[in-house]
Amino acid sequence: MRYLTIALAKGRLSELSVEIFEKIGLDCSEMKEKSRKLIFTDEKNKLKFILVKATDVPTYVEYGAADIGIVGKDTLLEEGKNLYEVLDLKFGACSMCVCGFAGSKIPSGFIRVASKYVNIARDYFSSKKGQTIEIIKLNGSVELAPLIGLSEVIVDIVESGKTLKENGLDVIEEICKISARLVVNRVSMKMEKTRIMDIVDKVSEQIK
Amino acid sequence: MLKWKTHTPEGALDILEKECALKRDVEGKIKNIFSSHGYFEVQTPTFEFYDVFADESGEVDQTSMMKFFDREGRIMVLRPDITTPIARLVATKLQDAVLPKRISYIGSAFRDGDAHAGAIQKEFTQAGVELIGQNSPEADAEVIAITIKALLDVGLTEFQIDIGQAEFFKGIMQQTGLDDDAIEKMRQLIDGKSFVGIQELVDEYKIEENLKQLILELPNLFGGMDVIEIIKDRPLGEQAKKALDNLIEVYNILIDYGYEKYISIDLGMVQGLNYYTGIIIKGFTRGVGFPVCGGGRYDNLIGEFGKSIPATGVAIGIERLISALRHSGVKFDGAPEIHTLICYDNARSTAFKIANGLRSSGLCVEMWLGGDNAEEYANKKNIGGIVKVIDDENIDIVNLKDGITTRTSIFDLLGGENI
Repeated sequence: MRYLTIALAKGRLSELSVEIFEKIGLDCSEMKEKSRKLIFTDEKNKLKFILVKATDVPTYVEYGAADIGIVGKDTLLEEGKNLYEVLDLKFGACSMCVCGFAGSKIPSGFIRVASKYVNIARDYFSSKKGQTIEIIKLNGSVELAPLIGLSEVIVDIVESGKTLKENGLDVIEEICKISARLVVNRVSMKMEKTRIMDIVDKVSEQIK
Repeated sequence: MLKWKTHTPEGALDILEKECALKRDVEGKIKNIFSSHGYFEVQTPTFEFYDVFADESGEVDQTSMMKFFDREGRIMVLRPDITTPIARLVATKLQDAVLPKRISYIGSAFRDGDAHAGAIQKEFTQAGVELIGQNSPEADAEVIAITIKALLDVGLTEFQIDIGQAEFFKGIMQQTGLDDDAIEKMRQLIDGKSFVGIQELVDEYKIEENLKQLILELPNLFGGMDVIEIIKDRPLGEQAKKALDNLIEVYNILIDYGYEKYISIDLGMVQGLNYYTGIIIKGFTRGVGFPVCGGGRYDNLIGEFGKSIPATGVAIGIERLISALRHSGVKFDGAPEIHTLICYDNARSTAFKIANGLRSSGLCVEMWLGGDNAEEYANKKNIGGIVKVIDDENIDIVNLKDGITTRTSIFDLLGGENI
């Protein structure tokens, strides 16, 4: 039997994924040992787990280098890959929001928007709001942008909103809800239907 | 030096001798299969007017077409597919052709995409067949059967051809009475096999219970013939029922072709619905994360060029097929190889005669053009032997594998008739 490969986003999502996988009888023990390994195997079920950067999960799955992936909806929206998005795993829940100074509104007219998520920001402002914006791509500490006048607002993920509040910012508009999704490569789904659907069905039972 | 002088653009590749020989071999075998079924090759221009591909129902989005202008300012595109130009050709130049008309093609097509998506080629080779002028299950089954034959002939063994029916989904959506926006949302969710998303959407739109169950099952309706058993007795409207019967019939014909084991059904195949009007085809294999072939029935396309004729066809992606062959470890024995190197000092015309004589007996022969050391060169290039031509009567054959030199004459080497 050929190995099925499951790509997990490094960090909290992979820990939560491992919890679910263990409940449905997959062996993730190798992954829980502290190590720098990137590939872990479950010989009994002929599975390989790989740990990759969140934004790379859709790429691994689209190319078929991984058959299955677990990744946040934010990454899927931003990367726009052609995959089967089979399950909403419910965990890793948060929102994609437009944020700015507490109590303010999105200024009308031309504004600058700083974000890690340039595609989501562009899509929201141009398609949904019909507002002309300049997007400034940042890779971290996006909250800083309005504070020092780099942009009027930011588009970012909000979980508790704590970082925002500590910096005098708040959610102005919610763009959409975000949570972890189970995605499957379009060819793998066809070539390995039984094994993949078995995992999908069992995971689906767990999150009910 | 200019910055990009030594680079090829992302998505475009140089193909070196060995890969090129393999590619030509694969293409040759596929061409033979096509023509042995009566599908003769045509060629259309590599670039066309943008208008040819610009249409609501076009399969290719305009952002993925590579565009430029001619001197009169008209928009040109590098062809994003070859079926559309063939539709143009059929409607304009083959108006009086005897139908059904069978056509095949092989050539480069171009699609612009993500600059960093290295393995997704912007220039890629498509080989395909089109069966024009007949709307029947036999026609659809024929192009599928030829595709299977071609894949088998190049050495692919483990693959699966999924067939679906565009009218099945359209029929069910018509039964629901949803508006276009809602249907598009539903289509995207079913296309993504997003089980939960579909559940939420059918609840939101308050679709009647029977139909709701059917829609919920759609993304799961792929696999063997049992899929059809599941769905057969459901409350299908006329359009969906007709689509399903058509699918069953195509499947039955493919059984008679002996290709049952390669066929599977996917009723959740809902991409390109503006383009396809019946059977939809997609081929999968291990080791390649993308389909290796695709196609279907497109009864409205040729009509856009002025003459309404039904048609069906399949295209095979040659690069993807080759990477699938590599993955499955298919041995390729046609790699280019030089058998003999011919050297001479003064007997030039004799040397040319010998070279041509050996070539006509099927050997690949190189002439030594002078330089440091012929033997060293031959060894480095793994050439089997050297023929040193001194004169008509004195020719040394050096076998580089065992180091033995044999003396012979032109008469003995080529036989009387070749001199």
